[in-house]
Amino acid sequence: MKKGNKYGVHRVIEPKGVLPQPANKIDNNMDEIYDNEILIDVQTLNIDSASFTQIEHQANGDKAKIAEIMLDIVAKQGKHRNPVTGSGGMLLGTVEKIGDALIGKTDLKVGDKIATLVSLSLTPLRIDKIKDIRSDIDQVDIDGKAILFESGIYAKIPADMPANLALSALDVAGAPAQTAKLVKPGDTVLIIGAGGKSGMLCCYEAKKRAGVTGKVIGLCHSEKSTKRLQDLGFCDYVFSADATQPVSVLEKIEELTGGQMCDVTINNVNITDTEMTSILCTKDTGVVYFFSMATSFTKAALGAEGVGSDVTMIVGNGYTRGHAEITLQLLRESDKLRKVFEELYA
Amino acid sequence: MTKGCRYGTHRVIEPKGTLPQPAHRLDNTMSVYDNEVLIEVSTLNIDSASYTQIKKACGKDPEKMKQMILSIVEERGKMQNPVTGSGGMLIGTVKEIGPSFPSHKLKVGDKIATLVSLSLTPLKIKQIKKLTPESDQVDVEAEAILFESGLFAVLPDDIPEKLALAALDVAGAPAQVDRLVTEGDIVCIIGGGGKSGILCCYQAMQNTGPSGKVIVVEFSKENAQRIIDLNLATDVIVADATNVMDVYNRVMAVTGGRGCDVTVNNVNVPSTEMTSILITKGQGCVYFFSMATSFTKAALGAEGVGKDINLIVGNGYAKGHADLTLNILRESKPVRELFEKLYL
Repeated sequence: MKKGNKYGVHRVIEPKGVLPQPANKIDNNMDEIYDNEILIDVQTLNIDSASFTQIEHQANGDKAKIAEIMLDIVAKQGKHRNPVTGSGGMLLGTVEKIGDALIGKTDLKVGDKIATLVSLSLTPLRIDKIKDIRSDIDQVDIDGKAILFESGIYAKIPADMPANLALSALDVAGAPAQTAKLVKPGDTVLIIGAGGKSGMLCCYEAKKRAGVTGKVIGLCHSEKSTKRLQDLGFCDYVFSADATQPVSVLEKIEELTGGQMCDVTINNVNITDTEMTSILCTKDTGVVYFFSMATSFTKAALGAEGVGSDVTMIVGNGYTRGHAEITLQLLRESDKLRKVFEELYA
Repeated sequence: MTKGCRYGTHRVIEPKGTLPQPAHRLDNTMSVYDNEVLIEVSTLNIDSASYTQIKKACGKDPEKMKQMILSIVEERGKMQNPVTGSGGMLIGTVKEIGPSFPSHKLKVGDKIATLVSLSLTPLKIKQIKKLTPESDQVDVEAEAILFESGLFAVLPDDIPEKLALAALDVAGAPAQVDRLVTEGDIVCIIGGGGKSGILCCYQAMQNTGPSGKVIVVEFSKENAQRIIDLNLATDVIVADATNVMDVYNRVMAVTGGRGCDVTVNNVNVPSTEMTSILITKGQGCVYFFSMATSFTKAALGAEGVGKDINLIVGNGYAKGHADLTLNILRESKPVRELFEKLYL
């Protein structure tokens, strides 16, 4: 077996010298694996929500066209990185082969069912056939193979929940885990895009951490998601608003917090132009966590300076230690959450 | 006098409902609302990414560059580069203060530098008096408006105004370094030889003390030599920051494979996110000051290599940042001399 690089640099075709994520093309030949790679027989792709929304839009919702766009992306790049959004997603599959150098080092064995927790935007992928597209949950069943690099993170699918349920939660595992780290007892927390998948997990986790002296505010868009979040009962306040309108949201948050604003704001919406809303609703000693892949770096950086806010702004890191365990545990802890996830995403 | 909004939304022409920074066009009528300050502008300090873009687009021709700046301001009512999205700052004299403006320290005739971005400052240029492609300071005859939420610094007597402006332009960077870096830290400053880089290096050396390390990664040999001469770092690496594996290997060699506690990215070229992420230790922190940073590259990049680190969006404002930065020029004679040589 050929010796591979920890980060998968050996698979990069062009441009040379970059890592697999920013590369335009990577080698997706699966006939032979490198000594530190794991070959996965793929069952389901869980496309990143921003990416799937874009593809669906481009295809006008037509499933045959969606399949064509996806096959084209993988044919050109050797991976499923959406050329417009730059984002990927994750996958569910079974371990088929383990590289020699990893034997004894990894806790995986052939036949284990795993979800990869690194982005599809850097995962070598070959699609042989697209079997089913479930547009409402961004999941696509395929016949195909993928490679997990040595630095790649993964989670074994637990025995006590269905694979698709675990996958849909693991897909956004970073968000509730970072919420757990950020929110302290007594904090006022605003979750923007609170009615979505990662939003609901964040609300639950935020309330748990903020405690009875804290306050969790959920901002949703559609009437349906607002109602759903209200019924879940995780938040102290839930309201519906357009997050791209900073001034009206600011007024609402001033009212709800008695002019104090929020200690922590977590942005989960996958639409553009919500940076200023996040900044203005946060205390100038507070923290804004941007999980949305639609965040513009310059809008955030210049925006805070522009309004003279000393807020700390963090780029959402999809990985933090123990994130898979934290997230799966939420589904075990809360029956309500698990039920909603089963209904919506599994 | 009409009552204005704290954040200046009353000046937004389109699209309605946004703030001045993301707006396409601002009302640059130069009569003040009750909470605004009118400034007679003498110099614009264009953001370095913006100026580089303008210079490139105009083939370094000063006349064309003037035209381009004038047409941006004509069209948008502010000096916000449509390609880079960035602005810069200005110096001028206070001409009129609205009665509801909250700072009572400010008076008419004061010489000030605005510390908010030009990307949201209503501006009207009568003429450009002096522009050279080499310097991003452009002398103008112009007027501008400072909003109630707008930050400013009254220029000190003991530092020439252009020198103060050059330093204040990047005041956020050393102030954030001061917060992030503690004694014994291993710090890497990518793009350490540039303007904000030099100030960051100075501050990092102060904070890490003798048990820490300050590593500079710099593209230009000349800039790197300057850092060595001024003793502003413990280690200097001349390299292309977009070449991830090269920089990674060399930083690992210097740190004994440990990587850095804090990495500060100051370079204004794209695709340096992964370099910053890989050289940083797990549980460490990357501070992105570069306006060329891509949000998705940073976010997905860290996840992709399984790194549990904090990635922070550079905030140009930190409380007390103007004083901290001007104090560096007072404290360090070599830094002051260098700034005088380079930016005056």
